[in-house]
Amino acid sequence: MSKASLTTRVLRSSAFALLLVALAWELAVIAFAPSPRYLPALSAIGRDAWSVWPQLLACFNRTLLETVLGFALGAAFGCACGTVFTYSRWMERSVFPLFVVSQTVPIVAFGALIVIWFGNSLLAKVMTAFFLTFFPVTVNTLRGLKSCDPQRIALMRSFGASGLVMFVKLAVPSALPQIMVGLRLGIGLSLIGSIVGEWFGETVGLGVMLMEAMNGDLVVRLWVVMVACGVMGMLLYGGLSLIERRLVWWRSEA
Amino acid sequence: MVAKRSLMQSLSKSRAVPVVISVLVLLALWEGAIALFDIPPFVLPRLGSIVHHAASNFGKLSGALCATLLEAVGGYVLGSVLGLLLAVAMVLVKPIERIVLPVAVAVNSVPTVAYAPIFLIWFGLGPASKIGLITLAVGFTMLVNALHGLKQADESAVNLMRSFGASRLGIVWRLRLPGAMPAMVTALRISVPRSMIVAIVGEMLGAYGGLGRVIYESTQQIDLLSVWSAVLFASVASMVAYGLLVWIDQKLVWWR
Amino acid sequence: MKLSPLEVMPAAAVAPVEAPATMLELVNVWKRFGEAPAQTVAVSNVNLRIAKGEFVTLVGPSGCGKSTLFNMIAGLLPPDDGALLLRGTSQRDGQMLGQVSFMPQRDLLFPWRTVLDNAILALEVEGVPRKVARERAALMLPEFGLKGFADHYPHQLSGGMRQRVALMRTFLFERDLLLLDEPFGALDALTRTRMQHWLLDIWARHWRTVLFITHDIDEAIVLGDRVLVMTARPGTIKSETVVDLPRPRDPSIVTSPEFMSLKRRLLDEIEEESRKTFAQEEAAS
Repeated sequence: MSKASLTTRVLRSSAFALLLVALAWELAVIAFAPSPRYLPALSAIGRDAWSVWPQLLACFNRTLLETVLGFALGAAFGCACGTVFTYSRWMERSVFPLFVVSQTVPIVAFGALIVIWFGNSLLAKVMTAFFLTFFPVTVNTLRGLKSCDPQRIALMRSFGASGLVMFVKLAVPSALPQIMVGLRLGIGLSLIGSIVGEWFGETVGLGVMLMEAMNGDLVVRLWVVMVACGVMGMLLYGGLSLIERRLVWWRSEA
Repeated sequence: MVAKRSLMQSLSKSRAVPVVISVLVLLALWEGAIALFDIPPFVLPRLGSIVHHAASNFGKLSGALCATLLEAVGGYVLGSVLGLLLAVAMVLVKPIERIVLPVAVAVNSVPTVAYAPIFLIWFGLGPASKIGLITLAVGFTMLVNALHGLKQADESAVNLMRSFGASRLGIVWRLRLPGAMPAMVTALRISVPRSMIVAIVGEMLGAYGGLGRVIYESTQQIDLLSVWSAVLFASVASMVAYGLLVWIDQKLVWWR
Repeated sequence: MKLSPLEVMPAAAVAPVEAPATMLELVNVWKRFGEAPAQTVAVSNVNLRIAKGEFVTLVGPSGCGKSTLFNMIAGLLPPDDGALLLRGTSQRDGQMLGQVSFMPQRDLLFPWRTVLDNAILALEVEGVPRKVARERAALMLPEFGLKGFADHYPHQLSGGMRQRVALMRTFLFERDLLLLDEPFGALDALTRTRMQHWLLDIWARHWRTVLFITHDIDEAIVLGDRVLVMTARPGTIKSETVVDLPRPRDPSIVTSPEFMSLKRRLLDEIEEESRKTFAQEEAAS
């Protein structure tokens, strides 16, 4: 690889763009010296993060656990429901609208109730994450399964394939790209769910840290939590991308 | 044409019936569970009491609903427009996409709720902070969807237009934008319930009015009946808005 | 009167020439679409008989119901009237599914499967263990010109190669009757000629019964033992022409006088039907 193309590749990468922004941020703060209430310097954020590092790490891990568990449950439930709705018109017509309605209810309102129902435990936070995850996964699984190529279905029928064989060998693989879209939406919402769930209970977590920082008017701490959330978000999306690359690597015909 | 409409009517009727049945079943289960398991009202209030409470506080709740709706609509419109403009800019000027998109993705990795405190600091407790939050959430959704829609234009169609001497803006206006409509409409649909929820969450963290504020205060006073009535209002409003959008969608995007 | 030895021999000792066993028979088959009064008859009163080991081609103008007919034979659509007999036994609705090896117009390869796994798709459905099926397919790869491509994916192959994979899938599914619906339609002329001769080669070796749809008269004559011409909608069998040309068929046969006379006759028939189809379309618009 020539030197010139390596430089262009570095210049083009997203990491470089982010680095550029970070640099611009630090320089802007130095140059314009805005009030730290409005825009703290990146270095100040880093210092504050370091000062509470053990707590930050513990909170990060706890929120990560809640998010991943809630996502796993929501994804499994969502896929199952999507499958049932694909093959049972009656179930789709009756139960799916309830799903839609459930999403109009702001989960935050349930916060207190969920703590009452599930106690101030891990399960409560997992439940809030689950609640936000299952819907996009259901919708996209349903869409993916329904968009199965009817000509391929006819081909399989001509081989004498049963419904189950068609489901396993044709419907599921052809729906995977769309299911992945749903999972990507779900994992972002799962994170929101855990954070919001943490507001309603005195446990450990990034949501709790956020609340504490807000109540204690610790502005720089707010930014620290924001960046930590961003890091977790990117970690989750990145993990999902890896899974996607292993499961859905084929190029489907246009 | 008339035959088609009456067929549609009967079809929609047959879609409503199963929903109605299951809603009734759900309501019956609700009341039944309370009666059977002797559930205390602070865990699960009776439906009648929720409706009664909502009705008797109708004025206060509708006032709060208006405040929330104002924020939701404001953020929704602003976010959709900005998201679309940014997507178009990215298609016209490639370097913008290369620099801004990774930043936007990183910014969006942070859950919207985490931004709420910062926005409250920047814009105060008034509606502006909530509008800002909603703009961010809706804007990113629109950006991603619109960008995908604009870029999916057939390469050979683009070349055809270039052979006619069309400018980049002309291609965007005549080819890419109409082709991106379905993706944009998807973004618009997803953003409706989201706007409401982000508005309420924002209000819960700090606001002068709105349904989220009502929910927060009621939670502090452990007045769960108020919480449920506020939730009922929010839910109904969200459904009406969504239904409105679906109706508009069918009228506007009639060629599908 | 001097009697020749043949005249003296008893009739029973001279074994009568057996008619070859009938593989497929359609009796008075009809298919309609839609509800009255806007009902269209796609296929009307189709009668045909195909003997075991025959290669029969079916030509007709577009929209004449060829594909509908095929879908019925494959068991995907039930006929509204008439009977379908496989090896002399009348088939119920859907009974044909899994009994005939069907190749539709598009290759319909699964993008997430390799060439080898696509080829064994029908075998998998049949219940053959994957390992066994893969071995069987691997042996067939060179014959279909796919040697070395076992682990490639459909998007890496050209159109002609994808059709060959689909053909391989069709041949691996060991059924006595093969239905090929314009498999070479999307290919360019040169590739098509190569594929035709290759198909004849494989057919000669595997000796299955083949029913082949095409809109290309040259192809119909080069490939078939008999050419059936279908009328415009509502489709029925207009005529049956025996192709007397010797096998194996050489590519140069297309310019021989016998070929030309067959072609001339069939062209006239198709022309007539095509004109009817145009008139139908004009009337409808």
